[in-house]
Amino acid sequence: MIAKRYFKYSIILIVALTTGCVTNIAIKDPSIPKPHFEKLSLIVALRLPNEFYNFVHKENVLGQESWTIDFGTSNATFFTQLFEYMFDDLIVLRPDDDTLNYTFDALIEPEIEGFEISVPNQSKTNEFVVWIRYRMQVYDKIGNSTSTWSVSAYGKSQIKGLGRKKSLQRAATLAMRDAAALILLQMDKATKIGTLADGPTTVNKTESDGISVKNLNNEKPMVLNTSTFGDADEITN
Amino acid sequence: MKLRISCIAIIVLTVAVTSGCVTSTIENAREEKTDTYKGEAVVVMAKSYHQGNETEADYIQCIERTLGRGSGALNVIPTQQFIDNLFPWFEPRTAPTNTKGLINFMTKLGVPEAIELMGVRYIVWLDGDTERVTQGGSLSCVAGPGGGGCFGFAWWQDDADYEASIWDLNKSKSTGTITADYSGTSFMPALVVPIPLIARTKAKACDGLARQLKTFIIDS
Repeated sequence: MIAKRYFKYSIILIVALTTGCVTNIAIKDPSIPKPHFEKLSLIVALRLPNEFYNFVHKENVLGQESWTIDFGTSNATFFTQLFEYMFDDLIVLRPDDDTLNYTFDALIEPEIEGFEISVPNQSKTNEFVVWIRYRMQVYDKIGNSTSTWSVSAYGKSQIKGLGRKKSLQRAATLAMRDAAALILLQMDKATKIGTLADGPTTVNKTESDGISVKNLNNEKPMVLNTSTFGDADEITN
Repeated sequence: MKLRISCIAIIVLTVAVTSGCVTSTIENAREEKTDTYKGEAVVVMAKSYHQGNETEADYIQCIERTLGRGSGALNVIPTQQFIDNLFPWFEPRTAPTNTKGLINFMTKLGVPEAIELMGVRYIVWLDGDTERVTQGGSLSCVAGPGGGGCFGFAWWQDDADYEASIWDLNKSKSTGTITADYSGTSFMPALVVPIPLIARTKAKACDGLARQLKTFIIDS
């Protein structure tokens, strides 16, 4: 009987020690400043996945504090704002919208490929770091996949002067802003999206399926990866 | 009652008058003679964390505040406003890291116009941080129903090493560098009441560097 009671108390104690408190953070919709950027002459359809309207990341550090970061609609706002600055015309689509009802030069489908945070207890520093990785699939006007591009961005913020919650919020916002800078400066070079203004890539229509299309040369879509840049000169040059 | 007030007054006075000692070295290296300063705006930036820089946000704010007030106050533009007005060319990843990058940056679409509109001539790049390099001693406190108190002695040393590089946007060149090395030792003796003798190392490094920056820019 006593052994049973000790066992029960031991379980409660272990659970109490390994379960830290949970901190909830909500990320406000980011505001990207108007960039110094010459818009690309394209009509672009942006199909946003459902997760862009309700992305939540949970980070559990065993025995320590757990973090829940609610991005709400900030990813949707971020991509809409950014592409409005980048392209002459932007059509925002939800996942179930039929692209046949719209006319555009290119279709972009972004998704969150990865998200990580580093909290001060893990890094033994007094700062939060947020990494975010977006993957963008680009199609021409008739549905050919022309390229896939991944963008890794990160943001870092010190706790001092801000507090833990605001510091993590700021790190996440800085990561999104970093992604915005990369997309503005690298996307056309990496995906050649600007060339889609001249029309779709050459295609073969299959006999059995009048709608679906494939690449003529049976080439796989370009898979490009922009993860890290050693120096800003690589971007500015 | 009077004795107690006198006692408190003595402690407060001791704390106010005494503080930990700070030693300082400031060096100033001018690379380029510039045109006379005519009240143009100055921006204070931290070197990018993409390059491993750890300069504290509160230190940058302190330099901004100190440059913008007192005798010889400069016209300081808030850092975030400057970065936003030049988006995406002054983000941690994209900001120029050297004068070659600065020349390239000045050719970007809309950048020279935005800089002219803000009236910015100087960018001050800050690098460095304040670190606790060593500490020692021991101090223990007890409290009970009849009262409490502390006994012991603790000390610690903070080193503040900062470097400011000054770029002149009119010439797209680096005009010089100022380095500030401050070292301060704080003490906390305790005989019932702990008496903190704190060396304000970072604050003094801020005052010293900002004063030198003012002189450097005004006496250009």
